[in-house]
Amino acid sequence: MKEFEIDVNHKTPREVNRAIKEAATEYDRVTVKNPNAMHYLAAGLTEPVELVINGSAGYFVGTMIHGAKIHITENAGWFPADNMTDGEVIVDGSAGDGVGQGIYGGTVVVRKDVGSRTGEIMKNGTIIVGGSSGFMSGLFMMGGRIVVLGDISEDAGESIIRGVIYVLGNIKSLGKNAKVKKVNEEDKKELKELLTKYEFDLEDEKYDDFKKIVPRSKRPFYGKKSEEG
Amino acid sequence: MCGIAGVVFKDKKLHPVGDALTKMLDALQHRGPDSAGFAIYGGLGLEENEYLLNIEVKEKPGLLEAVKSTVNTVTPIKSEEIIPSVENYIIYRCKIALKSFGALKPLIMEIDKIEDVMVLNGAHSFEMIKDVGLVKDIAARYDTSSKMGTHGIGHTRFSTESIVDRYHAHPFQSYIIPDITVVHNGQITNYWKIRDPLERKGHIFETNNDTECIVHYMADKLSEGYKLEEALEQSVKDMDGPFSYIVGTPNGVGIAKDQLGLRPGVMAENDDVFAIASEEVSLREVMDTHNVEQIAPGETRAYTI
Repeated sequence: MKEFEIDVNHKTPREVNRAIKEAATEYDRVTVKNPNAMHYLAAGLTEPVELVINGSAGYFVGTMIHGAKIHITENAGWFPADNMTDGEVIVDGSAGDGVGQGIYGGTVVVRKDVGSRTGEIMKNGTIIVGGSSGFMSGLFMMGGRIVVLGDISEDAGESIIRGVIYVLGNIKSLGKNAKVKKVNEEDKKELKELLTKYEFDLEDEKYDDFKKIVPRSKRPFYGKKSEEG
Repeated sequence: MCGIAGVVFKDKKLHPVGDALTKMLDALQHRGPDSAGFAIYGGLGLEENEYLLNIEVKEKPGLLEAVKSTVNTVTPIKSEEIIPSVENYIIYRCKIALKSFGALKPLIMEIDKIEDVMVLNGAHSFEMIKDVGLVKDIAARYDTSSKMGTHGIGHTRFSTESIVDRYHAHPFQSYIIPDITVVHNGQITNYWKIRDPLERKGHIFETNNDTECIVHYMADKLSEGYKLEEALEQSVKDMDGPFSYIVGTPNGVGIAKDQLGLRPGVMAENDDVFAIASEEVSLREVMDTHNVEQIAPGETRAYTI
């Protein structure tokens, strides 16, 4: 494996991102040293590189990436993986508001708690939260899946149209057009495969405790006929 | 955008709060370049009846003498200092004694009548430093690294609703009760609904700035016997708009965030320090922690010593 290291000290986000993109064409793994919660790290990265951010990242880490695998060893600020189309963003600590905002594909994993509006306007892809998720998680969700292993706060699934939110802990309240269903065997199998892949070790009986938040209607606002009609 | 920060050293002893806040605000400099300010509590060591005035004075012949004369008419100046600023202004800082806290605001209003003079603040238990420009430049001008205290709050400003000058730099202060300060990121959209009842109670507003409205609101609640936590919780219910703000009192600091969570706020603490700010990058200047908590929509946090 070819590896490269970039020290962020005294560099601007533009300089760092240019260095990451250049290194990503030549190396398999790039490590960002001393990130000190810098904003916009790895914005627009489209190479299938493994990027390790050794510390905390600021706002919009991994925004608009396609194919890169980003591992943040501490925390992330607002909107990590915003509008990602493919790839992986893994945060070992906690993250701020809007985790996985608008993603089209790929997977975001935050091992601890996240702020509010997780997965807002997401179209596809997967978000896994190891802790709890805040206010209006899944706001205007249009597809994909969110998995929350802790609690989910007020107005979960506010104006959800498509997609699903799995919650292991408590649901404080549901938003408009959201309802709760029991998980079936297919859901549990899918969850076990997904969570095991990302090293969340749950006992088998825990999978029975998941609740599933889904839309009441696929056309809650624009008419009552068929979705695609 | 604006950046806000607050820090408390839990042991109640004096620490370099000025230096800590300078580093916290410098880390947030990208959130606003217009002006910056600090309220550093606990390090002034004034006698019970003593106050420190910070007065903006244009460099014009005879003006400083007029300020001194106005102050001396009410009470003798006990000590004084001149701090150079920018745009042909100086900051005249003087120590005075008054019979009661109630005499402070009338004196300030009397000084403010002088053209090209504005009292930036009058304080007993905290030092206010605020000026136009970048955090590091202001910190160098006022030697913030030498300012000791127990806790403090600070701000770096991106002006959206009002002019850029020293007075509109944060923190804002209220004279309803002593030494309440506020730094703010956002807008209060029901400003007049909050201001009107306060004015009917006799509270004096100097500007139309929404941060001034918050500080009067908080001071009013604290004067009615609310604890800091209770006043913050009530404020979130009463205020509309996108906001997060930090309140400083002689005993602590607290943060409140709007019910939709539209402005950022994070906190972290360890055995020694409680810190709050707009972004994690600011907290990291005063502590090394992996556990950064998001302030949730509608949530408040406070720490008092």
